[in-house]
Amino acid sequence: MKDFLIVAGMALVTYATRYAMIAALGSRASFGNEETDPSLFRRWLRYVPPAVLAALIVPPVVAPEGQIEPGLRVWATIIGAIVAWRTRSALWTIMSGMVVFWLLRLLGG
Amino acid sequence: MRDLRRGFLATLPLAPGVVAFGLLYGMMARQVGFSPWGACAMSLAVHAGSAQFTALGMWGASGAIPIILTTLVVNLRHLLMGASIAPHLEDLSRPWKALLALWMSDESYALAIAEYQRGPGNRWYFLGANVGIYVAWGISGLMGGLLGTAVPDPERYGLELIFPLGFLGLLTTFLEDRVGVIVAFASGALALVGAFLLPGKWYVIAAGLLGSALGAVLEERQTRGDVGQ
Repeated sequence: MKDFLIVAGMALVTYATRYAMIAALGSRASFGNEETDPSLFRRWLRYVPPAVLAALIVPPVVAPEGQIEPGLRVWATIIGAIVAWRTRSALWTIMSGMVVFWLLRLLGG
Repeated sequence: MRDLRRGFLATLPLAPGVVAFGLLYGMMARQVGFSPWGACAMSLAVHAGSAQFTALGMWGASGAIPIILTTLVVNLRHLLMGASIAPHLEDLSRPWKALLALWMSDESYALAIAEYQRGPGNRWYFLGANVGIYVAWGISGLMGGLLGTAVPDPERYGLELIFPLGFLGLLTTFLEDRVGVIVAFASGALALVGAFLLPGKWYVIAAGLLGSALGAVLEERQTRGDVGQ
């Protein structure tokens, strides 16, 4: 019973973090008219996705265990970045990065 | 319906990473006393990998309130993700917004926000991406619980690399102009510094806030410069 309550509480607070901003900002009234009033807030929101994505990429690649670890992951991600730049495809970026990672590991890197 | 399927299929390249960590989660849940179905139930109810791993580490040793509060803190980054996708959802009904928020993961958010940025994004694509990651996470949690100690370590195969690589492929959508490129590099550097200085996943929030603020300031200056000429 206690386990059930903990899981229910975890589910509730997690959902709150997901829904809060969508509920608060997800209506036209929250922003004003973009044509006449491109507010600083709206412009700021436009740069949140690249900022968050970059933040999700760099530490797990460069410092997976909490300290800088130059190695296979970094090389694989650099190749992945080139492929990402050329193809703009998540699929090809993943495939190329993983193949490079496995090849380097096979070669004993 | 076509977009629902497209969103679902777009999660497939990320699925091996999700499944590898779902299996690991199921195995670890079993070790702290969950049944395979209990492990699966937590995945289906909470659907947040980092928070679930953190909770397992506290299970039995901490009380209910610390575990729930830690879950809240680990998931605060969803506020930023929700804020940035909210403008794309403003024409939707309240039940649709509530539904799309329900299974929004880092991965499905990244897929959906990139699709919105490219133009053709819509609620069905977002829902399909949410469902794809949700199903993979739920089923692999159950499988991990059933397999127990037979689960392979994802890091042995470098499968944790799938997520940053996938995010990298989606990030390119936001690098159309100079400001976007600067924001991405600055945020990556800030996140790295943050990962050393801040506990848990606070580095995502710190870099997300500071990096995007930098973008807004640079764009503001650029626009003013254009007007002045």
